[in-house]
Amino acid sequence: MAPLRCLVLLPALALALGPAAAEGSRRLPALEALGQAEELAEELWGAGLPGDLPELEPECRQLLADFAEGSAALTGCLGRSARPVRLCQACHRHYRHLLAQYGNIARAVGNSSESHNCAKSILTSDRLQIVVTLSDFFNETWEAANCPNCLKNNSEGLSNSTVEFLDLFNKSLTCFEHNLQGQTIHLSVNNYTEVCKNCNKTYKMLNDLYNNLQRTNRQGGESGHSAHLCIDVEDAMNITRKLWSRTFNCSVPCSDTVPVIAVSSFILFLPIVFYLSSFLHSKQKKRILILPKRIQSNASLVNIQEKYS
Amino acid sequence: QLTPSSFLRIGQLSNVDLNEDVHELETELPRQRPNEIPHNEKLLSLKYEASALWDASLDYDNSENQLFLEEERRINHTAFRTVEIKRWVICAMIGILTGLVACFIDIVVENLAGLKYRVVKGNIDKFTEKGGLSFSLLLWATLNASVVMVGSVIVAFIEPVAAGSGIPQIKCYLNGVKIPHVVRLKTLVIKVCGVILSVVGGLAVGKEGPMIHSGAVIAAGISQGRSTSLKRDFKIFEYFRRDTEKRDFVSAGAAAGVSAAFGAPVGGVLFSLEEGASFWNQFLTWRIFFASMISTFTLNSVLSVYHGNAWDLSSPGLINFGRFDNEKMGYTIQEIPIFIFMGVVGGILGALFNALNYWLTMFRIRYIHRPCLQVVEAMLVAAVTATVGFVMIYCSRDCQPIQGSTVAYPLQLFCADGEYNSMATAFFNTPEKSVVNLFHDAPGSYNPMTLGMFTLMYFFLACWTYGLTVSAGVFIPSLLIGAAWGRLFGISLSYLTKGSIWADPGKYALMGAAAQLGGIVRMTLSLTVIMMEATGNVTYGFPIMLVLMTAKIVGDYFVEGLYDMHIQLQSVPFLHWEAPVTSHSLTAREVMSAPVTCLRRIERVGTVVDILSDTSSNHNGFPVVESNPGTTQVAGLRGLILRSQLIVLLKHKVFVERANLSLVQRRLKLKDFRDAYPRFPPIQSIHVSQDERECMIDLSEFMNPSPYTVPQEASLPRVFKLFRALGLRHLVVVNNRNEVVGMVTRKDLARYRLGKEGLEELSLAQT
Repeated sequence: MAPLRCLVLLPALALALGPAAAEGSRRLPALEALGQAEELAEELWGAGLPGDLPELEPECRQLLADFAEGSAALTGCLGRSARPVRLCQACHRHYRHLLAQYGNIARAVGNSSESHNCAKSILTSDRLQIVVTLSDFFNETWEAANCPNCLKNNSEGLSNSTVEFLDLFNKSLTCFEHNLQGQTIHLSVNNYTEVCKNCNKTYKMLNDLYNNLQRTNRQGGESGHSAHLCIDVEDAMNITRKLWSRTFNCSVPCSDTVPVIAVSSFILFLPIVFYLSSFLHSKQKKRILILPKRIQSNASLVNIQEKYS
Repeated sequence: QLTPSSFLRIGQLSNVDLNEDVHELETELPRQRPNEIPHNEKLLSLKYEASALWDASLDYDNSENQLFLEEERRINHTAFRTVEIKRWVICAMIGILTGLVACFIDIVVENLAGLKYRVVKGNIDKFTEKGGLSFSLLLWATLNASVVMVGSVIVAFIEPVAAGSGIPQIKCYLNGVKIPHVVRLKTLVIKVCGVILSVVGGLAVGKEGPMIHSGAVIAAGISQGRSTSLKRDFKIFEYFRRDTEKRDFVSAGAAAGVSAAFGAPVGGVLFSLEEGASFWNQFLTWRIFFASMISTFTLNSVLSVYHGNAWDLSSPGLINFGRFDNEKMGYTIQEIPIFIFMGVVGGILGALFNALNYWLTMFRIRYIHRPCLQVVEAMLVAAVTATVGFVMIYCSRDCQPIQGSTVAYPLQLFCADGEYNSMATAFFNTPEKSVVNLFHDAPGSYNPMTLGMFTLMYFFLACWTYGLTVSAGVFIPSLLIGAAWGRLFGISLSYLTKGSIWADPGKYALMGAAAQLGGIVRMTLSLTVIMMEATGNVTYGFPIMLVLMTAKIVGDYFVEGLYDMHIQLQSVPFLHWEAPVTSHSLTAREVMSAPVTCLRRIERVGTVVDILSDTSSNHNGFPVVESNPGTTQVAGLRGLILRSQLIVLLKHKVFVERANLSLVQRRLKLKDFRDAYPRFPPIQSIHVSQDERECMIDLSEFMNPSPYTVPQEASLPRVFKLFRALGLRHLVVVNNRNEVVGMVTRKDLARYRLGKEGLEELSLAQT
């Protein structure tokens, strides 16, 4: 539902959130047709192979087709939800499916002899190993996005905290939207006091929730897990913060320059006093020179000894 | 009282002898009173004794007196093999313990500093919203100052020798100068606590330099098998209780310390070689390497366990420069001239650093010599460091997005939400972390203004901090300064060339760090290898070597290295590799001290006691001359005996009369001398009754019968070579009738130095 909301947001928000979202689902019909034609040709070619060359068992071919379909769906989903980032929310089902399909291939032994099992012929029989590459790519992307962080432990659906966060996020976006209505952005650039005042509470809640999530994540996550939250949550927070403090200019910290200058100049002044006073009042350390007992100074040594005797 | 006159008789006699010899040299000098002068660099302190490394008398291997021969006859082949095995065991223990101490320091610093930064960060975050940031500033300054106060108090009042990085002290020790207390357990404890406190206190210091000192103390302690500070004797390793063996182990300990500090075992070995070697042999090198490896491995495994990934061994040193991959951070051949230029800059900046620190140290020695003042000074520096950091952070408007960065304590302050203050990553962090950040943060995480201000401020802070009465090292601050301006250099370079090929400022940060460190400490071989091992990339060896070489050449043109400078300022009689080049015209006769207090082979106890307790002549070795009792005729040199040996003899009352009286008295063994090592009791603690003063003492059994001697005409460089190569402590100067004319000690040689206007002579001073 979040992408839908984006479509109805104000132009400024849409601009901030990225234009990609609006155009995600559009595909060129000509390209589609071309692709279908190619698929058809491939199928003909695959089916047209005579049975005497046992290239692939039918069930293996089915598994492969499933995998191809799944990866196409996942790719599409990833691309569509690239900006604003909705990867984990939108695609976790696709990803789970793909994992299962890959698992099927890897586990499938096929009904024939050892040399002809599906896993072997699909995964490892050529140099390119495209299925493995694809699967690795998806896994890496998933890990890099830290998606497991906002999913439930069994990866079915979003975790409770994530749902809560997204709700709050939507709430604050709605708040922004409401308060901006009736204002034209181009005219009054700095006049966002209304927003700042009214949405402060929601924003603070959102911010606190995010910080909490981050803290629990950092504590719970062992060193193996990275300290990042999943990309959806991070990005949502990022967008909101940018809107809040850059676009709306809501966070204006108190700058108390005068006391800081006073205190720091006092502290910086102390060493000068210290060094001056120790220079003036401390007794300079003197070294007592010792006359070396050398041949040149024999005369003086004779003197010393005369004094003794 | 007969005694003084008998002592003087000998003195007078040898004096008369001299007057005959050097009649033409005698000039009428006005009698000068001992005068007082302010401290300056052209002084040698009498405080530092030479430790006898190869000295004939302390080193029983060479002191072929009768006791030694007896012991040698008793020891068989198996015993020698056991000794060899023990050496290896000791080296392993040195490595393990040094590694553990390093772990301890690291873990404690990490936790305490983390606590401090969390508290201050919480406070700043709180006051940013409400106003009143001056309280945060006060909190930060007070926290720093109070932590540093504790660190400084323990150093100033309990063990002043633990101040500083300890590298100059270890350098002197390995050179053969015995600095009091330098390898005691108490020093180690103070050093470790002091380092922790000064790093936590936010001073511009590192914990790496002191590791070298710590390693050395550990080595000295273990190899002796006892601790005099704890008054415990474990009755092990008694064979090693002498200066030569102890020195070998101390160099192993220093190497283990370097290796634990930087994860650089080879660098550690080379450090020992570069700083300490007046002699070297392969077996010793191999053992030292063993100790280094054990040390870094121990640190690595313990820290890995501590960080939760027990088996991946990812932290070989206290500081890790992080990974420098060839793909990302490789250099091309066109960049080498640029690196050399950076070396020049590093040399100039290093020389500036040293010159400033020289004046400051001189001022400190002259005026800030009372412990309370030193503590106050350290506290002020800590407070000012915090203030400067705060003001810089406060004024900085350089904000970076927090996403994807690895900042430990991101301070938001006036940045927009979700961003952090980039100046704070440099100041609001322990220096080690800041160095690594400067090496590895993505291009663009710092803007040039931030880096420039940081370099400038940190340069002065580090320069001000070094030489305070806290234990802390200069390695990390130098690296940090260098990394900051190096990164700045890299950024401006890629700006000038429109970001074409030399994109990554990280490698320039590394080269800048090397140049700055080389310009300050002027180490060459060992530093190259240390940097190379710390980056874990051998291809960087070549540019690092070039950079260090240039930095050293340029820096040496202006002033000498920081450690040498401090050694000189402390008036230590340090012997360099070679005698000053223009000193060939000086002969032993001009260099030596004369007249010499000699002892007769069979001497009256009273005379010995009086000579030893005479405070004005604090001699350590006494030539033993032949003389017939009853006559005053002084004959030729027969041997050399040490003060410590005389004290042991007096303590055990080995008098001729007593030997005749009680035959049951057990004979003195070598072990008795060894047990007293290294802290022989002072002469005042030995009671000699009036009757015993009249007894006679026979030295012939205990003296070293074949001391090294030179004729009077030997030139200074020749004498110097003997001292440096053999590690001598005393050298007797004889005339052609083998009669004692004078004595050359380390101080007599160290006082000649090549200054700006040719050969200079330093004066001796009492401290």
